[in-house]
Amino acid sequence: MLKIEGLNSHYGRSHIIQGIDLSAAPGEVIGIFGRNGVGKTTLLKTIAGWVKPSSGTIRLGDVSLAGLEPDRITRSGVGLVPEDRRIFPGLTVEENLTLGLMQVRGRSASAGRAVISEIYDRFPRLRERRHQLGTTLSGGEQQMLAMARVLVGEPQLVLVDEPSEGLAPMIVAEVFAIVRELKERGAMVLLVEQNVHEALAVTDRFVVIERGRIVLTGEAEDAKDRERLMEALAV
Amino acid sequence: MNALDYLQFVLAPQVVNGLALGVAVVLVALGLTIIFGLLDVINMSHGEFYAVGAYLALALGAAHIDFWLLIVLVPVLMLPLGMVTERLLIRPVFNTKDRHVTTLLVTFGLALIAEDVLKLIFGPNTQRPPTPIPGASEIFGIILPNYRLFLIAIGAVIVAGVAFVVYRTRLGAMVRAAAYDRNMAASLGVPVSLVYSGTFAFGVALAGLAGVLLAPIYSIFPTMGRDFILLAFTVVIVGGMGSIWGAVVAGLLLTQVQALASLVISPVWTDPIVFGTMVAFLVFRPQGLFGRLGHA
Repeated sequence: MLKIEGLNSHYGRSHIIQGIDLSAAPGEVIGIFGRNGVGKTTLLKTIAGWVKPSSGTIRLGDVSLAGLEPDRITRSGVGLVPEDRRIFPGLTVEENLTLGLMQVRGRSASAGRAVISEIYDRFPRLRERRHQLGTTLSGGEQQMLAMARVLVGEPQLVLVDEPSEGLAPMIVAEVFAIVRELKERGAMVLLVEQNVHEALAVTDRFVVIERGRIVLTGEAEDAKDRERLMEALAV
Repeated sequence: MNALDYLQFVLAPQVVNGLALGVAVVLVALGLTIIFGLLDVINMSHGEFYAVGAYLALALGAAHIDFWLLIVLVPVLMLPLGMVTERLLIRPVFNTKDRHVTTLLVTFGLALIAEDVLKLIFGPNTQRPPTPIPGASEIFGIILPNYRLFLIAIGAVIVAGVAFVVYRTRLGAMVRAAAYDRNMAASLGVPVSLVYSGTFAFGVALAGLAGVLLAPIYSIFPTMGRDFILLAFTVVIVGGMGSIWGAVVAGLLLTQVQALASLVISPVWTDPIVFGTMVAFLVFRPQGLFGRLGHA
């Protein structure tokens, strides 16, 4: 269970996240929508620990995440697929993936290898290219790698930021299929996405953010809520 | 003197001596470039850590600890010194806006203090430990000091060992990932703070190891760090700040240039050539010969 209450965060003097409350249950995908620059990415970065919250609480199960270092937050069960994928250029595909094993403490080497092998079965292109540098992959493959290296850690909460940006429709479908798989595994997903129509197909609930505040919440299946969402985003 | 004699008695010994000096410089530059590559910190006290390593070896050697044991013991003793330095001096200013200037000045201050502390404890005079491997060997008719041959060999082993750890192990992948993108590495669970202090300490331990290995050739005195650090900085700049292979190639090349140039022109001119190369690189190719640690 994720529970965020009264969350505020700043970039210097700019007050970006202004009192956000949000909760998620296991197996729930929440779409986070809004125009550019309203604080969607900052919300994910604050949960992941890249931006320190100025006030408020973030609880994942029994663990309080607010103020912890990003590596501690990760080891508490949070995975991040950032907006620009952030593949390490000096590392091969396999090194990028095996680094993902660090998300879980105390896993044996053989268990780690088994997880990587499962990931390769799920993403055969990554197996084919495992000795290549990560940044030599195509945009779609890099997105797969960014998601795969988080899956290696089997997180309870996955933060996914603009995963379909700049990708071909076929790859976008694959990205959302992975989100669906995460949901089926019981993970919570916070999905920031500009591609609202596609995203609604995998989300259970959504929130709309404006100037750092949640201005609308709704159920993805509810026709009226969807109508209000489209009005809010003027799509 | 005919061409063969020139080759045997002048050129070849000069090349081997240049190679020994090159290995020495690479050993000092290795820690410097790793620290720069990962932490983006220009460690002005690196030369003094090299001196501390040499003095530690001198003190422990006086207590009858064998040289071969010192090669392991001194770097191990330098590790906590590096960790404490990183925690107390680097970390508090690491996230400030003027990190480059602040860490440069802090480590420069540490260098000045360390130099004086060494002077207070060991005195200002030069000391020369006995050569651990005396004598010379004749290879293809060329007489070469045994210890310099050993230094070349162990230098190659150390460089290969460091490169293996950095480029072929998960620990190395963590270091390279953290060097490139601290936040993303942390979000994959890499304990970045520990990696930072561990790597700083590792760089310091390498400087200490260089101190143990080079003292029998270049002697020990409180300002010994200054001599090598200038050349080591040049090597790091020419090779590419943060590049291990860059440090190796630039270290070996520049010292060969120094060694061979002194055969044809006055040795007074070798320093201007080497430092002129550094200036030329800073102006025309500031990224150096190779890319930075963690970058493709």
